[in-house]
Amino acid sequence: MMLEFFQEMERSIESSIRESRGVASPRKRYTLEVARLGRRLYSGEGKMAWCGVVAPFDLLTAMGVTSCFVEFVGAMVASTGAAGAFIETADQAGFSSDACSFHRSVLGAAMQNTMPVPDLLIGTSNPCSGGLAVIENLARHFSRPLTLLHIPQDQSGGNVAYLADQLRGLARFVTDHTGQPLDPERLRQAIANTNRVHAVGSEVYALARHCPSPATSKDLANFGIVMALFLGSDGSVEVAEAYRDAFRERIAAGKGGIPGEKVRLLWIQNRIQFRHPLEKMLEELYGAAIVIDELNDFNWDPIDPDEPFEGMAKRAIAIPFNGTIETRVEHLKKLARQYRVHGAVNPCNWGCRQGTGARGLIEAGLGSIGVPVLNLEVDCVDDRKFTEGQLRTRLEAFLEMLDGRPSPWQ
Amino acid sequence: MERPDGPLIGFACAYTPLAVVSAAGFTPYRVHPLTEEPDRTGRILHDNICPHVKRILDRLLGGDLPSLAGMVFMNSCDAMRRLYDAWRAVPASAPAVLIDLPISADGLSVRFFAGELERLSRTLAGWGGRTFDPAELGRQIDRYNVQTGLIKALAERVAAGTLADGPARLQAAFNRAATAPVDETTASLRKLLAEETVSDPGGVPLYLFGNVLPDPEAFRLFAACGARVMASDLCTAGRLFQPLDAGSGRERLLDLAAALLGRRPCARSFDPGRPGGIADDVLAEARAAGCRGVICHTVKFCDPYLARLTAIRGTLQEAGMPFLVLEGDCTLRSIGQQRTRIEAFVEMLQ
Ligand code: SF4
Ligand code: SF4
Repeated sequence: MMLEFFQEMERSIESSIRESRGVASPRKRYTLEVARLGRRLYSGEGKMAWCGVVAPFDLLTAMGVTSCFVEFVGAMVASTGAAGAFIETADQAGFSSDACSFHRSVLGAAMQNTMPVPDLLIGTSNPCSGGLAVIENLARHFSRPLTLLHIPQDQSGGNVAYLADQLRGLARFVTDHTGQPLDPERLRQAIANTNRVHAVGSEVYALARHCPSPATSKDLANFGIVMALFLGSDGSVEVAEAYRDAFRERIAAGKGGIPGEKVRLLWIQNRIQFRHPLEKMLEELYGAAIVIDELNDFNWDPIDPDEPFEGMAKRAIAIPFNGTIETRVEHLKKLARQYRVHGAVNPCNWGCRQGTGARGLIEAGLGSIGVPVLNLEVDCVDDRKFTEGQLRTRLEAFLEMLDGRPSPWQ
Repeated sequence: MERPDGPLIGFACAYTPLAVVSAAGFTPYRVHPLTEEPDRTGRILHDNICPHVKRILDRLLGGDLPSLAGMVFMNSCDAMRRLYDAWRAVPASAPAVLIDLPISADGLSVRFFAGELERLSRTLAGWGGRTFDPAELGRQIDRYNVQTGLIKALAERVAAGTLADGPARLQAAFNRAATAPVDETTASLRKLLAEETVSDPGGVPLYLFGNVLPDPEAFRLFAACGARVMASDLCTAGRLFQPLDAGSGRERLLDLAAALLGRRPCARSFDPGRPGGIADDVLAEARAAGCRGVICHTVKFCDPYLARLTAIRGTLQEAGMPFLVLEGDCTLRSIGQQRTRIEAFVEMLQ
């Protein structure tokens, strides 16, 4: 089912790009890359790994392993409206309904035999306990080899070297289970692509800060987190360049992502993954655009090709969900300032202890620089729990409140 | 001559290296999630955080804690990390440190964890403790090993049914051992062991595992329902008190790190070569103790445990071992509400 879904998606986007003589929105190019990844994952061709969120996807690309964090599957099945059925399967098997539905949907999909059997699995201790547990469960379910990456909380002391050594061990593990040795030249090429994405992507983010922003609320949804999956590939560079070119053009033409941008919003952590009308409502009724998502940033430096493992280690440690809440709040404050946002929305995905756990501290932190936060109660994957009316009312009240107060950046 | 035990250092996880805390001249004090304080954590933490963490924070917010020279958090799970954040956000809270905890016990992890133990030693010295001395750490490990031996002997008496009101008093002994100076606990354990032998009326032999269940009354409830807990594996019971073979001399922290990571793991740690191994361990231990059924007690919203229950259930089911899951919120009331379920489970096994 998923293979057909991704194949069809790939076919239809490619044909639409052909019909428009190669002209396509950056979002379309991004979605094409998503479709290609999905097709490779589900095709059964080549070696494949299910991973935790901060696995080094460029290293795996260089080693010829198609790899993906499992939460991607949760997001995909949510976008097709199929998550509910998978979650139900997981719930019936006894998985707690209090757990994150990114994970419950993946477990349900595995139980319904709609997840391809991987050649290997790579668990990461960050961002969340639930993510590590789901990889352990899948390794047991599929009886496939598993290795772990323990991500230290910060880059102090010997933490980077410790994770770099684990990554070297990971490369050996991959070789042991795929027969594919690590070719230093291929790794160098993958790292060059990663650094290119860093350079072009940084420009994309800088352009998105423009007032009005060239980005619509949808343009960069899930962008930062999903681009991590494409790292190392040529496709990732093409996607980043497509965004950069489109944003440059829009700014040069004096065109904002949404007409008459009035309110600029910061979206904390995950977007709601299934179809819903709220973002459109914000844009159309309030001129409110989500101009920045928490994960749309590079918290890491370009990787030194002569020390790739250390660079990848620093990148994994730098994800804002790692470490103390102070680090995360400082990052959110930095984004709020850079993007001159008027307010922030925290969907508080039900089941996410790490993300929503300290929401009071996030609210206080952003509040200290004059950026109010709207805390919602949303399940970002399970559309059966979507309470549109309630959320609409809360968002409307928030937007009206923002309307009545001066911008923090005046 | 033994030196007197010093000021209190709070902790909240069974991976806490008690001997390191004691070697710095402090008395480790487990902050149990038992309090009459009202629920006030909502303004800092989301409601979906486990009640273990929320009640510890309630104790802090309500002033329901003894004076602490510091608080040691282990990075066991998302909830604990968020507790560390919340703790430091409360004005005038004791200084806190978060010690990172690897997932498994491979060589790299052990070396890393030894570094974390060293960082803990330095932090404790900064809080007014003694600087690290490997010989003193060795002495403290020996003291804890003596205490652990006594606890084991007591647990065996309780399993054999020869101690009056055994299960509840064993839990009270665990609580004391987690909060009082070692010598004091050791003396009280010896006293308990010297008590006259009684013959317990018995009950259905069960294996109990899970995370946080510190209230001795909960164990009276199990007994009143006709269950005899023959063996258990809980964060607030024996998991904290396992023998440590911690070597000697300069490599002592490395050996201690290996010993702590190599102990019977709770749900948050595992060997990647044996994914879901907790399921096989639970079955093996229940069988070894001659149990007829297994009860898991977990607090709500505990990802490490809740995520592993399906595999555990599957393994027990396949082996024909009956299984009951109790989800609670650390209060006696919540477990009391499940009395009928426990009774029905025990009856089914009779
Ligand atoms: S929403 Fe939270 S719990 Fe769920 S996958 Fe993301 S970080 Fe993990
Ligand atoms: S009860 Fe579970 S979630 Fe809570 S602190 Fe312990 S392991 Fe973490």
